[in-house]
Amino acid sequence: MQEQILTPKTSDQKNNEKLVSRVKVQTSVIVTLYNLESDIADVYNSVLGALKKTDNHFEVIFVDNGSDDNSWNKLKDLSAKERRVKLIRLRNRFDESVSFDAGLKHASGENIVFFNTRVRINPAQISKLLKKLNQGYDLVMGWRYPRRDSKLNQIISRAFNWIVRKFSNIALQDVNSGVLATRREVLEDIPIYGNLNIFIPISAAQKGYRVTDEKIEQLPGSFRQSKYVSEYFRRLLDIVTVIFLTKYSKKPLHFLGFFGLIFAIAGGAMNIYLFIYRLFEFGPIAGRPLLLLGALLLVIGIQMISIGLIGEMIIFTHAKDIKEYSIEEILE
Amino acid sequence: MVKKADIFKEFCDMKQIEYSVVVPVMNEEENVELLYESITQVLQGMDQPYEIIIVDDGSTDLTHSILESIHGKDKHLKVIKFRKNFGQSAAMAAGFEQAKGEIVISMDGDLQNDPKDIPAMVKKLEEGYDIVAGWRKNRQDKMLIRKVPSKIANKIIQYFTGVKLHDTGCSLKVYRLDLVKRIILYGELHRFIPALARIEGAEITEMAVSHHARQFGQSKYNLTRTFKVIMDLTTLNLFIKYITNPVYFFGKLGLFFNLFGGIVLFSVGYLLQVQKYMLSEVNVLISFAFLMIASGFQFVFFGLIANMVFKTGDKKVGR
Repeated sequence: MQEQILTPKTSDQKNNEKLVSRVKVQTSVIVTLYNLESDIADVYNSVLGALKKTDNHFEVIFVDNGSDDNSWNKLKDLSAKERRVKLIRLRNRFDESVSFDAGLKHASGENIVFFNTRVRINPAQISKLLKKLNQGYDLVMGWRYPRRDSKLNQIISRAFNWIVRKFSNIALQDVNSGVLATRREVLEDIPIYGNLNIFIPISAAQKGYRVTDEKIEQLPGSFRQSKYVSEYFRRLLDIVTVIFLTKYSKKPLHFLGFFGLIFAIAGGAMNIYLFIYRLFEFGPIAGRPLLLLGALLLVIGIQMISIGLIGEMIIFTHAKDIKEYSIEEILE
Repeated sequence: MVKKADIFKEFCDMKQIEYSVVVPVMNEEENVELLYESITQVLQGMDQPYEIIIVDDGSTDLTHSILESIHGKDKHLKVIKFRKNFGQSAAMAAGFEQAKGEIVISMDGDLQNDPKDIPAMVKKLEEGYDIVAGWRKNRQDKMLIRKVPSKIANKIIQYFTGVKLHDTGCSLKVYRLDLVKRIILYGELHRFIPALARIEGAEITEMAVSHHARQFGQSKYNLTRTFKVIMDLTTLNLFIKYITNPVYFFGKLGLFFNLFGGIVLFSVGYLLQVQKYMLSEVNVLISFAFLMIASGFQFVFFGLIANMVFKTGDKKVGR
């Protein structure tokens, strides 16, 4: 990932630099955008309005996820005027988790708000998330309600969230909204990878952090349509990952071994049947497709178990880096 | 910059503590005070600096506030509070990570183990072992639902891991600090600590300990985990025998499939040439043989990948 970072330095600001650096940033809002030239000023003003209500020590980090329109210049104009704006430009269009990671690296606040302009949520509503965060939650997920995007999107999203809820036992209505508020310590305690929207709240809840959601309003207007069927396919893979992550991330063999054993036993039973069939001279078996099916299942079953064993080896050899628990406090 | 005084203080702290007792607890409000008192009584009799590390594994009852009030009175006690319940392996791993004593003792939080056994076990450890496991010779549990399954389980564990202990499930164990720091505990591996110690090349022995019936609270044991235990045992079996060279394991498997496929192919040749079978009569058998051979090669490749995993991992076992 290549990135370009721009923090504005006007002459006026240079004089104030010492002063500014002493004011500790409390909240960092990371806004990721792609081709949003016409809305940048609006988004910033809404964020500003929302944050001024709660506290004044904040910064807004715009991550330009490889826009090919005029967004970057607009952002530069904005940062020349506003000292609380930081800019990061990714050279290419990457996953959301990449832009989030880039923003997080340069964020200095204790509270982190992640905000993806893709889902068109009224930025003014992030104050609701921060308010709930201050009530003692560790992570507040934005829940798009009421939604204004296409019905198909809504149905798919609902089904997806239902499945995720069933498997993770975490009562979140909208894990892929792309908007969340949390604390730095939470993000430092959990791994960030893949499609972040889904995994951050789930990993946080698994480590025992208090996770909740809050309704936020979606803006009317045009939505970027999912161009590729591959996006829906990725959702499916995400579900598999969620199951694996929530149930078996430390014990791959418990997952693969189960299916492997079922396959191997089924295949073994078929072949034993054929063996007995041949042994008692009921007829020839060399031309029976069942023989091939049985052998195939047996082989696949043993292979799955082997892959599970290799997974166990990977976990075991790296286990010192993967902590499965999270300590709330130590009394010494 | 770390101050010299800090280093010195740390050095002193490390030197000072001789015994660390690690106890995971979860919802043990009736037991925890008694537990603390009985451990303290024994350790004070041993006349060496000690610490008691109680890991609160996400208790939802009064356990933690009781621990807080004890901690206010006695600084020998260290309490680690988890955000939620992460299981006994995680709790023991966290306790082991914090332990500073030269000798580390682990035990259950439900008063079924008796701390009075600790001095004798420590003595045994000092004879030159790395780990002394407790053996509940006279178990005070219900015969059918706990003792019998436990006997069978121990036999299976002995067979799979090659560690000859009567009772791997007893939590009362005494270890040397360096072993404790090397053992890797996650998932449900706390059941197999002796096997894990063996992977590290430890000297293992056992000793009969007393066992009391449960006074308060519910036992958190359940019988439905057989499958997971078998899978864990398979893994450990592989680790113990092959972790430095897993290609041998997968290679054997692959060789078996290859040989089998080869034999089938050979017999097909015999059927075609000598018995004058038609090709259409045996073509399933030919596919069968090819399948076996192909998967045999795949297993060999699995083995090579497994070796790469081990070589790139930072956990170097048994050296």
